[in-house]
Amino acid sequence: MLTPSRVLPLHAVIALALVATIGCRSSTPPQDADRTVTIYVSTDRVFSEPILREYEKRSGVKVNAVYDTEETKSTGLANRLLAEKARPQADVFWSNEPVRTLVLKSRDVLASYRSPNAKGIPEALVDPEGFWTGFSARMRVIAYNTNAVKPNDVPQSIFDLADPKWKGQIAMADPRFGSTSFHVAALYALAGDEKMDDFFRSLKANGVRVVDGNSVVRDLVARGDVKVGLTDTDDVNVAVENGQPIAMVLPDRNGLGVPVMPNMVSLIANAPHGEEARKLIDYLLSADVERQLAQSEAVQIPLHAGVPGPKHIPSIDTFKPMTLDYAKAASRVEDLTARLATILGL
Amino acid sequence: MFRWPSSRTAVVGIAIAVFVVCCVLPVAYLLTVSLSGDAFSALVLDARQRGLLFNTALLGLGTALLATVIGAPMGLVLARISLRRKALLRLALAAPVLLPPYIVGLAWTYLGSSTGWLSALSGRELPLAWTHSLPAAILVLSLVFYPVSMLLTEVAMRRIDGRLEEAALVVAPRRRVIRRITLPFAAPGVFAAALMIFVLSVSEFGVPGLLQVRVYTTEVFTAFAALYDFSRAVVLALPLLLLCVVVAVVAAALLGDRLVASRRSSGTRSVRFDEWRRSATAAAIAILLVALALPLAVLLGEALGARSLGAVLADSGAAMVNSILLATTGATAVVSVAVWLGYARARSVGRLGQGVDILFVVLFAVPSTIVGVGLIGLWNRSGPFGVVYGTDAMLVLGYLARFIPITALALAATTRYVPVSHEEAAAVSGAGWLRTMRRIVLPQMRLGLATAWVIAFVLVFGELGVSVLVAPPGEATLPIRVYTIIANTPSSHVAALALLQIAVIFVPLAALGAAVSRREAR
Repeated sequence: MLTPSRVLPLHAVIALALVATIGCRSSTPPQDADRTVTIYVSTDRVFSEPILREYEKRSGVKVNAVYDTEETKSTGLANRLLAEKARPQADVFWSNEPVRTLVLKSRDVLASYRSPNAKGIPEALVDPEGFWTGFSARMRVIAYNTNAVKPNDVPQSIFDLADPKWKGQIAMADPRFGSTSFHVAALYALAGDEKMDDFFRSLKANGVRVVDGNSVVRDLVARGDVKVGLTDTDDVNVAVENGQPIAMVLPDRNGLGVPVMPNMVSLIANAPHGEEARKLIDYLLSADVERQLAQSEAVQIPLHAGVPGPKHIPSIDTFKPMTLDYAKAASRVEDLTARLATILGL
Repeated sequence: MFRWPSSRTAVVGIAIAVFVVCCVLPVAYLLTVSLSGDAFSALVLDARQRGLLFNTALLGLGTALLATVIGAPMGLVLARISLRRKALLRLALAAPVLLPPYIVGLAWTYLGSSTGWLSALSGRELPLAWTHSLPAAILVLSLVFYPVSMLLTEVAMRRIDGRLEEAALVVAPRRRVIRRITLPFAAPGVFAAALMIFVLSVSEFGVPGLLQVRVYTTEVFTAFAALYDFSRAVVLALPLLLLCVVVAVVAAALLGDRLVASRRSSGTRSVRFDEWRRSATAAAIAILLVALALPLAVLLGEALGARSLGAVLADSGAAMVNSILLATTGATAVVSVAVWLGYARARSVGRLGQGVDILFVVLFAVPSTIVGVGLIGLWNRSGPFGVVYGTDAMLVLGYLARFIPITALALAATTRYVPVSHEEAAAVSGAGWLRTMRRIVLPQMRLGLATAWVIAFVLVFGELGVSVLVAPPGEATLPIRVYTIIANTPSSHVAALALLQIAVIFVPLAALGAAVSRREAR
């Protein structure tokens, strides 16, 4: 027969005790309960972590950050925010591209906040309703292997990649995810469905290699496995700084325009630390943060006038950026996910 | 008048309650809140999706088969052939399971790229189509997962009654004895491992993604990652789960209950196959070269090209300690619950038992994002639940949700080798059930328990899918840290971080292995 002292074997008791011990290690130091802010960050950790550390030092506020992973780029955190919507844990969402932010806005996860530091940022990159504010932008670029492609042969438009001469030599990240999903949504919004469907059919005929991330595209190009690829400025810059034979061109600078992707920062609806959240957003939208991101390997283009840009990247007033209705582009994501899976055989 | 339940009912009941709360409820919760009539239209798969499902089936079956072909013979070698420094050899042969599959895939792409080692050695460019292919994905996953088959086969081999083999040897040659006696009796362990490897493979989309193999698992991921449609994701997971059910049912049909009677009697010594020592050693060395030395050498070669690792490795100390603590706690908690579930499964017979096997397989095959979102829905609420949410306990709950089912399946196979008659004899002698378990049953399962703990530790340590959704803000496990850093870092840094992760997981396990070996030697 059972007696209370015999209910659990010893090792089970130990396991439960360990669970209890670990469970009680709350992540938030109780003494800092009022001086804490929680931020979910989908911008690459190597770039965003130093910025947040600096804020901790300057403000004395404990920043609890959750970063996205390479595997779930811009997806794990958005899902987490959606799942936590009824009882939010995050105060701020810092996204590295527009689509996820706009999805979260449409699902009522975000709250409106107009930061005084948004002054000076181009109007097109600030939500008129205040649910998001853009800062420090990246661009989608064509990366090429400098050993394999002569300067005169470098494609200047993404539509050049439909040329059969690039057969078997093109790579791009899966267009259903991350910044590539933004890029294709923008292209469909501007160029129209028919033209873009034809373009992706041509890419398929050219044996485009669809890989699982922009950094993989960069590595394939840098290694010479393919000659050209579509990726982001920061990915290419890391390889350039590392001495690899790779360079980039801004595509369509005279046509559709160069796809510009701002970071976006948003306040979470019913954020547990609303006041600290607003202060952190103000900091992220400061010219100082834009300067830091421009000078880092992220080579992001400042949106505030007068902030010096990164050394190898043209400033935003020297080329034609894509003019885009971000909300309209984001609304195409679901349709394009199915469409491109069929065209590209994903 | 109230009567206390028997100790067996209470302990198994508590284990079942933990299983239901941790493993069943999160999935059931998400099913309940997110399924609508419209969502089921996603169940009508188009030709492309059917092709993806077929690819997934090929990947799972191919990996289970190849990993078993590599691992099961090595299990036999470790159990039945006298080799020098066997503890060290076992540790080395088991080490590939410590390598994160994505990292081995990465090493494979370094190896097979047009500027990789294989091209340099052969003097010509390798066809990239072969480097990035379904067979390559099967090979990479098999090289990572074969230790699961090896370890569970060794456990099974050690539990076979030597008298049966001795009797067979009187009338039959050794090869025939192995084929007709030894292998069939080891089958529960071998099949449990193959099933485990199948489910691990079909759940994997990191390696297929890297090697550009299109698999169905990505469809489920896409529903979450591109569409944020929980309902669609859950529905799309159903064909994947059905595939696992089919494989589990076929495995159960092939296995049946005919082998449950396999028993090892005390005092008998298993038959040895020492005449195969030389070829066994050669095979072990070949496997070690391909599965361990080659990926490590490739990663090391890449890592040595790094200019500065300081910034990347900085601040990883806390994540390292966190990971080891969490993995130790998680694996201990998982095994502590799974051992009783495995016992209950092994002692149940007929359709109920087979149904439980299928439930274990299905729950383990549930995509981690579904488990993570279910856990958030269940625990992120005010009141006592909210106290747990936002702490490391959520990570432990995630580990329990993900890994109790598969550990219970493996431990059920181990428990089957402990004769029921031993328990009956103890009961006749007046021993209570708890005492019988402590003094008779669990000691006989010692090797199986240690193996299950090591496998659980490795799985828990590398867990990402649930962790990224429920990890408390401000903290990270080492895999989360590594994966959040590797974007936008050069491949040399990625390789260095991978080696760091491998070292962190290998060192404590090697120390544990050495301690166990010393104890056994005494």
